[in-house]
Amino acid sequence: MSLRFLSSLVSRRTVLGAGLLALVLVPAAGSAGSLKEIQARGYMTVATEDDYAPFEFVEGGKPKGFHHDVVAELRKYAKFEIRQEILPWTGLLAAVSTGKYDTAITGSIVSQERLQVFNFAPPIAGATHYYIKRVKDNRIRSVGDLNGLTVGVQAGSVLLSRLPELAAMLKKSGGKLGKVVEYTSYPEIYEDLANGRLDYAVNGIINATALVKERGNVFAIGQPVSGAGFHAWPVPKANEDLLAYLTKFVAHLRQTGKLAELQKKWFGTTFPDLPTQSIRSFEQYKKLAGLE
Amino acid sequence: MDQAALYTLLLGAWTTAWISAVAIAGGVPLGLALALLREARVPAVGQLIVLYVSLGRATPLVTLVLFIFVGAPLLGIPLERYTAAIVTLLLNTAAFNAEVWRAAIRSFPQEQVDAARAAGMTRALIFRRIMLPQIWITSLPGLVNEMTLLVKASPAVAVIGIVDLTRATNRISAVTYEPLPPILVAAALYLVVIGTLVRLQRLLDARAQRLAM
Repeated sequence: MSLRFLSSLVSRRTVLGAGLLALVLVPAAGSAGSLKEIQARGYMTVATEDDYAPFEFVEGGKPKGFHHDVVAELRKYAKFEIRQEILPWTGLLAAVSTGKYDTAITGSIVSQERLQVFNFAPPIAGATHYYIKRVKDNRIRSVGDLNGLTVGVQAGSVLLSRLPELAAMLKKSGGKLGKVVEYTSYPEIYEDLANGRLDYAVNGIINATALVKERGNVFAIGQPVSGAGFHAWPVPKANEDLLAYLTKFVAHLRQTGKLAELQKKWFGTTFPDLPTQSIRSFEQYKKLAGLE
Repeated sequence: MDQAALYTLLLGAWTTAWISAVAIAGGVPLGLALALLREARVPAVGQLIVLYVSLGRATPLVTLVLFIFVGAPLLGIPLERYTAAIVTLLLNTAAFNAEVWRAAIRSFPQEQVDAARAAGMTRALIFRRIMLPQIWITSLPGLVNEMTLLVKASPAVAVIGIVDLTRATNRISAVTYEPLPPILVAAALYLVVIGTLVRLQRLLDARAQRLAM
């Protein structure tokens, strides 16, 4: 009984473990295709998420958001069929890494850990992290005030893995990072921030903006707590030609002005200075993001 | 929460109800078959069933469903996500059901079997006419208990993209950023599903008791 209960709280590590286990048990080729295989079978499978507004979400039973429009563009661009499947973030990267889907057209953030398994298509949005606080919380006026306060972030996320950057910022002003609480997804974090269990939350600028647009009476965006970051689509390392294909597709979106148009439509802002090449290693990522 | 959100929740409740129902419909007889095979003490088969039951009871549902969903295509079995979800729930609940059935079989009085044998009944007939009607009554509370647990554990299959009742609440709150209203409605809907199961048990139980008189 308690095991079953725990299963609903199972960590992303377990999920990845299951994916890896599947990989270990069956080392033979999966169903994920190189571009040639995709062309031969006539369709490409892409995975998108369902609760990551404004990138991708479902409202009234209909998928919407930035990537939903991007997939529509991809359908026009590609000479093969695009099959889109919607699944939650928790199972998404594992499913892509084992080859269940060819790629994930989703707003995942590039990170050192993910670069070990995936290459990334050229970024489609910036992902600098900001702190989010309650509007009425007068204790927090700048990053320095976060000293010792309790923060909520998503487990297994890049938001979590880049918290040391905030710790470094706080250290400069003689402070330190307070208690870190990890959650499975952001709606719970926002609720705990609203009810006072958390002092602040950290999320990418786009998600933070979407939140404040909807509930600006409760939440406010603060200052950046990380260096530059990128939202980009993960492609399994072995799939070089698919990466090249998606790189060309992003270039196509940029040249036709569609990228800027969709950014404006869903994010309310454009990102004219994004890197235009694919991201394949941590060294390259550090250089692009201007990290140490 | 608007009408579209309510519709999403009802649709989620329906998904939860029907995938659980299919898993239960398959899992209860499968559990019985496993329990019978195990009690038949066939060498090797018995040990295999012990292994299955232990694994089934020890594996978290999230891990199992993901393993089946991403693992099956690697073995050359293209598995659609609803099939993967139902197979997972079915395998899981059958492991628990097998133990419920087995307890009932073990505690079945040997004297009745002996008496039936003396009357010249075959083993199959003894099982059908004498044992099954009685172990069914003994097992019913345990089985229904397991059914309610299964319904409550079913949100685990959302990990492969099934929009069950719990997932529906996530989808709504991801847009409204207000998780409490959909969660409250979902809780009420779960109460309805579980309440129906318990009510069904009472009806079946009453009927079985009447027959036993």
